[in-house]
Amino acid sequence: MSLFVAAFGFGLVSMSVIAIAAVGFTMQFGITNMINLAYGEVMISSAYVAYYLNKAGISIWIGMVVGALFGAAFSFLLNRIVYAPFQRKGTSYLGMVIVSLAISLMMANLLLPIVGYYSVSYQEGTGGLIRLGAIILTTNQILIIGIAVVVMLLIHGLLKYTRLGKAMRATSANPTLARNCGIPTQRVVDAVWLITGALCGLAGVVAALNSDSFAIANGAAFLITILAAAVLGGAGQPYGAMIGAVLIGLITELSAAAWSPEYKEVVAFGVLVLVMVLRPQGLLAKRGAMAAAG
Amino acid sequence: MRGFERYKVVSAVGALVLFVACGGGSSSSGSGLGSGALLVGVIAPFTGVDAALGPAYYAACLAAAPSINNNGGVGGRQVSCQQFDTRGEPADAVPAANQMIASNSNLMAVVGCTSDEAATVAPIINRAHIPMFCMTGQTEFNKTTLPYFHRLVPADIFDAYAMVGSALYGPGHAPYKRAALVFGNDIGSQAFVAPATNAFTKLGGTIVINQPITLGAASYRTEVAAMLLTKPDVILTEALGSAGTYLKEVKTQNGGQMIPFIGTSATIDPTWFQQVRDAIGVADLTKYYGGVDLGYSFSGPAYTEFQTNLNAAASTFADAPKYKQRGSTLHLYDGIIMTALAMVATNSADPTVYNPKIKDIANGTSGATVVNTYKDGVAAIKAGKSIRFVGAGGENTFDQYNNSQSGYIWVTYDNQGNEVKVGQMTPQQTQDISAAGGI
Amino acid sequence: MNSYYAINLLIYAGVDIIACLALNLQFGVAGIVNFSFIVFQAVGAYTAAVLSMPPDTAPDYSFQIYVGGLQLPFPIPWIGGAIAGGLLAVPVGFVVLRKLRSDYQAIALLVLSVIANTVITNARPFLNGAAGLALVPAPLADLFDPATYGYFYVGLTAVCTALVALVAFRIVNSPYGRTLRAMREHEVAATAIGKNPVALKMTIFIVGGVIAGLSGGILTGYITFWAPSVWLYPETIILFAAVIVGGRGNNLGAVLGALLVPVGFEEVTRFIPSSIGPPGLIPALQWVAIGLLIIGFLWFRPEGVRPEPRRVFEGAPD
Repeated sequence: MSLFVAAFGFGLVSMSVIAIAAVGFTMQFGITNMINLAYGEVMISSAYVAYYLNKAGISIWIGMVVGALFGAAFSFLLNRIVYAPFQRKGTSYLGMVIVSLAISLMMANLLLPIVGYYSVSYQEGTGGLIRLGAIILTTNQILIIGIAVVVMLLIHGLLKYTRLGKAMRATSANPTLARNCGIPTQRVVDAVWLITGALCGLAGVVAALNSDSFAIANGAAFLITILAAAVLGGAGQPYGAMIGAVLIGLITELSAAAWSPEYKEVVAFGVLVLVMVLRPQGLLAKRGAMAAAG
Repeated sequence: MRGFERYKVVSAVGALVLFVACGGGSSSSGSGLGSGALLVGVIAPFTGVDAALGPAYYAACLAAAPSINNNGGVGGRQVSCQQFDTRGEPADAVPAANQMIASNSNLMAVVGCTSDEAATVAPIINRAHIPMFCMTGQTEFNKTTLPYFHRLVPADIFDAYAMVGSALYGPGHAPYKRAALVFGNDIGSQAFVAPATNAFTKLGGTIVINQPITLGAASYRTEVAAMLLTKPDVILTEALGSAGTYLKEVKTQNGGQMIPFIGTSATIDPTWFQQVRDAIGVADLTKYYGGVDLGYSFSGPAYTEFQTNLNAAASTFADAPKYKQRGSTLHLYDGIIMTALAMVATNSADPTVYNPKIKDIANGTSGATVVNTYKDGVAAIKAGKSIRFVGAGGENTFDQYNNSQSGYIWVTYDNQGNEVKVGQMTPQQTQDISAAGGI
Repeated sequence: MNSYYAINLLIYAGVDIIACLALNLQFGVAGIVNFSFIVFQAVGAYTAAVLSMPPDTAPDYSFQIYVGGLQLPFPIPWIGGAIAGGLLAVPVGFVVLRKLRSDYQAIALLVLSVIANTVITNARPFLNGAAGLALVPAPLADLFDPATYGYFYVGLTAVCTALVALVAFRIVNSPYGRTLRAMREHEVAATAIGKNPVALKMTIFIVGGVIAGLSGGILTGYITFWAPSVWLYPETIILFAAVIVGGRGNNLGAVLGALLVPVGFEEVTRFIPSSIGPPGLIPALQWVAIGLLIIGFLWFRPEGVRPEPRRVFEGAPD
């Protein structure tokens, strides 16, 4: 029984890591209609940026900020230089997915000669162990949970209370109408890539810190989990992504406790498939989710 | 016919036969070593998840080539190295192997072929009649019928027995009674579980948990929590790529106290050392880690030449010197040199002629002179002697399936990541474990 | 020696053409973004393998554990593989063929393929886990000597490819195909004249699955091996790239795409000289080159090398 409680605690950490990444991913998708398969690689690149800073003696918490900035800049440039021109050219929707895959292939393999194939770790003490009943968490992990909560609140605030947030929601629902109402779609899109890029970068550093040891190959593995969480919640729905992250994070750890840990992800993804069967548009769906893809 | 004219006819006929025999490239038995550069193909993953494997084998070739080239080459022919990326995937490895063979008619040997792709690649290289030295412990090759296949690393089951031996008879601790098995679910790791379980339980121990883990997962918290609940004395593990993550979690959840852990011979690797050192710190690593490895001496004339050349290779491959204690690098180095010696001994560039000779040079026929370097080997051959090559990796003894293994020792790391021998199984212990595990 | 590489390329070309034709049927014609496509090929390969291998108690095979092992003669294993692909299409089709945005379909199916791969890897006694099935018997190998066997296999692959192409072309140019194109263009109108979109899509999806299963059987018979590492999810996306680069929605485009991407790009890049630089550099750059080629083709020809022909009918009323 105590294993389950401990697993619940671990689930809290997992869900925090996934949430930060999934919200960014799903916003990219919801507002710009882009399934960005290079998302995992941007995460790993940011993790490595923080790693080199960490090796030079800079604290990992500052590294997170730098990683977020790197993610923002890189994602913004990626959209401006690659994705937007292709979209303007009228590349089909699926063609954009293929482009993002090609980018992820290139990024992973350009990174390989630079950072090497060794797994690396951040040099950061884990902090003391804190026990709350059967839950065992380190201070770092609790900080990660805290960061995730703060980020979720910030995103919530952005979407609900700022003009930019409202513009984002409008663009997400109906870009043409939004433009006709005078919303500067181009600027909104730029802002989206900057903000979600920052989330991506932050998520990368957080995930790497959470993993204790990471290499380039982890990028692709992150991506699948993020995809699952985003779709579970309803693609394009930031609050859905948060719920999806909670579910995937908890189910993964609890099923590792209940059954053989080899299948922990299978169970979590199995839940996703179940949801797709029962509620194909995801848990929270925006109206128009049933329409044909743009 | 006058003698001179008979000579002209014979040599003309001979030239005609040679010309017709094979279109360019190899010459027939014993008729010389040919000319032009020779190539050693390194076929292994250089990209993808197992990208760390290829460079270790490439380093072996970079060290072997100067040993040969600086001492007259193979009949004057210079040896060079080329990498062929299998991309870590058996279906991609097939065209890699075929392209390697099709584009290079001067392949003298092939090294690499890991568990990721050996099953598809070995038959192709064998069909092309090129001697290969493969780094796969897979059981599939324990009784292979491919004459060109050579394996200088032991089957995984022997690693497992050595680990059990370390748990039961290792120095510095009472015999462990409760063991946790934590192996990755990949191709190379699963072969350890059954032999280790059989051996350990039959000799009085208990496997408290067998926990296959998915390599590359983001975290193993729940797995570690479940493992700790079973209260093992020792963890037997090979989880390449994820060892750092798992072991750090063990240390964290156990309140900063590490549990003894024993690794396979694949953990004797600079990548693994660095990863685990960064994860749990060098003090815990040196204190709690036990490894198993083949009994390398890391000294002697062969090793010295190997190390010198490896350090010199840093100009093309900066990380090369790090592999100075990596078993696979040592063995492949030996394999390449033995191939070159076989060519010189048979005076032939035709693999169908020199391939069988490799085994003789490794095992040594009775009365053979032991040589440790290429230079000495060539000199002995020129003096008409038969030789046995004992190289940087020590003695080799090929059985009828071209598998070779020498005895295991127990090792650990020092603070710099160098391997340090700490003990060895007695022949009686080896026998007991093998009998318990069942071969 | 050189001919083995040529044989290899021809067989891989055949397998990829068959796979791309199947994918084109599922995606280009029926409009289903099947991001789990590679699982269909895998199912066919595994089925063909376990139908043709001897049982795992046989002396040379005892290092593996797997189900089946019926040692059936050729061509039954391949037929079995094709049927398996079709059978898999039934439940997957039911999951997917609801009124669902194609992007949701796509990601859910992608995740499904990851699940399948993980399950097979971890359920070791089923299909020998990560190590996969080795020593798969090559079909009719005892009838030929090793030197000529390769040519036989090329011929066999060519025959299969031709058959599949025939089926694919017939479907696209049949009333079926026209109905599906109509549905793609304007689903409501098509339904209004009494066509049942779901049933039609399902049928095409199953046909695509059958063909995909066959491609798996052919591939595994050639490399005599099959393991989870061969069918990871990026393989599906490479095939999609092939179909898109070649031109979606038409068979010729699928054939061209198959020749360009999995065969062309992936193989041509092997010839970039790999003796330069430290190990791993050139192989990594080879992948970068593949990515650049895909992007380049999509930039200069977003509609595909051979775009789908727009069919215009004469005599439309003014």
